[in-house]
Amino acid sequence: MENSSIIQRSIARPEFGPFVLLVVELAVFWGFNHDFLSPQNISNILAFTVELGLIALAMTLLMTSGEFDLSVGSLFGFSPVLMWTLFNSGLTSLEAGFVVALLVAAFIGLVNGWFVTQLKIPSFLVTLGMLLVVRGTALFVTNGFPQRTWSAEGSWLAEALVGDFFIGPFRIYMSLFWFIAAAIALGYVLTQSRTGNWIQAAGGNPNAAKARGVNVSGVKIGLFILSSIMASLAGVISSLRTSAANPNSGTGYELEVIAMVVIGGTALTGGRGTIIGTVLGILILRVMRNGIVLIGVPGLAYNIFIGAIILGMMALHSWLERRHQAGT
Amino acid sequence: MAEPLVRMENIRKSYGRVQALVDANFHVNEREIVGLLGDNGAGKSTLIKVLSGAVPLTSGDIFIRGKKVDFRSTSDAIAHGIETIYQDSALVTQLSIARNLFLGREPIKPPRFLNRMDQEAMNVVARDLLKQVGISKNIPPTTPIGSLSGGERQAVAIARAMHFDSDLIILDEPTNNLGVAETQGVLSFVRSARDSGHSCIFIAHNIHHVFQVVDRIVVMRRGKVVADDIDPKNTNVAEVERIITGMSDEQIHDAIVQGKQSQG
Repeated sequence: MENSSIIQRSIARPEFGPFVLLVVELAVFWGFNHDFLSPQNISNILAFTVELGLIALAMTLLMTSGEFDLSVGSLFGFSPVLMWTLFNSGLTSLEAGFVVALLVAAFIGLVNGWFVTQLKIPSFLVTLGMLLVVRGTALFVTNGFPQRTWSAEGSWLAEALVGDFFIGPFRIYMSLFWFIAAAIALGYVLTQSRTGNWIQAAGGNPNAAKARGVNVSGVKIGLFILSSIMASLAGVISSLRTSAANPNSGTGYELEVIAMVVIGGTALTGGRGTIIGTVLGILILRVMRNGIVLIGVPGLAYNIFIGAIILGMMALHSWLERRHQAGT
Repeated sequence: MAEPLVRMENIRKSYGRVQALVDANFHVNEREIVGLLGDNGAGKSTLIKVLSGAVPLTSGDIFIRGKKVDFRSTSDAIAHGIETIYQDSALVTQLSIARNLFLGREPIKPPRFLNRMDQEAMNVVARDLLKQVGISKNIPPTTPIGSLSGGERQAVAIARAMHFDSDLIILDEPTNNLGVAETQGVLSFVRSARDSGHSCIFIAHNIHHVFQVVDRIVVMRRGKVVADDIDPKNTNVAEVERIITGMSDEQIHDAIVQGKQSQG
């Protein structure tokens, strides 16, 4: 293994497949329509990409530990609704409403983690139940109507989260920097820290990890909390950027986020995860959504492409995995 | 006689009405490899589970170097220096050798608040340990466990127990599903563990493997220890097989006495 060349080693990495796919995708879309790589289009892609991306980063760690969270899409809708409802009713300032929304999200993550680790219920069922509870609450509180959001102008919170400026012709939102910071921090945690070792062990062989004194339940509960907080943060960012707080927003995001993570090379069964792969997976799906519209494929056909990509990447990953197990 | 490393006295374990252990007495001395034999259902694995903290005992006492202990979990037993290695279950296949060796006890690089593993230090120790247990091939410590053979995995688990100063390493069927060369490898890992001051309990269905490596053979039948001082040098496989399948206690006694006389 140590003698193999750099090229061989990079091909063997789980991020290699997604990387090639992204390059091909960019080349194909650019070939069809040169506007695809225009500053305006790139700015458009980035703005929404980082919002889903924040959720996917946290989901990568959670899935590496062997669990996943279906309630993120509902929190994406619920948290801004809660923040704006508190603010509009005059109960709190916008900033305090934001903090309350994050705290409520953390509590929801704690409940998810508690059900999964203490009652030993599969995370699929727990977070599916939580999805309905949270979405239902958002709809009930608002009677299904969007909340008023126009008074965020000038708030330092809005500036810090979604303030925008131009770098040359590119319109950049502050959220891009939050995303980059989160990617670096979580990548560091997963690969460099001892917590990362515990996360991978919790997903790979929980009994072995427990026998070595690793607090597997604690690790998982912490990651459920992280996942909920990131979904909540992403929802607030999206709401501030678009000046909308719709109780229905975020519907279906949980599956798109999970798809981003597995396309990037993180194992659905846990034990192995990659933040770099997830960043690639995020870009692959968002570029696909943007690109097929630009080259004139009907937007409704989007899911066909996404499904095909997921199947193709899963086939590639399983092939790489088998090669890996065979020790070649 | 010196106090044994581990002494189990009058151990009873019942699962509902089923008596898995009936007043079992068992001990392991310092620097000794004990072969634990018995037919299926004789109580070997229950005895080991009790000793490794995996199941609570119904009654009886466990002493380590003469001090009474109370195990509520496997981590309790590990904290008292008793490490149990089940085939394939002790390691995380996705993690590297070094990361498995230090799982739960990862060294941290200063500054501590960054919580950063000292991967170089882990690799250095891992390389050294692999040599110590006698893995001859040059396997880098960053290799994931998943690409190791069954025997190499056993070696990593044994190396880990040795490094973290487990006094007693329990090997449950370590040679199952291994080829001839691999089995010899595992047996030599066990010997090197003893030579560096550790005791082992070796459980295997294949009596020939047990004979090759142990200092003393203990046989269990129907939840009891029926012979605990068989010297493998003074007996043969057929003799031990007869004890496992059940002779009268007198016959066992005679067999042991004969063994001792020829030894003296």
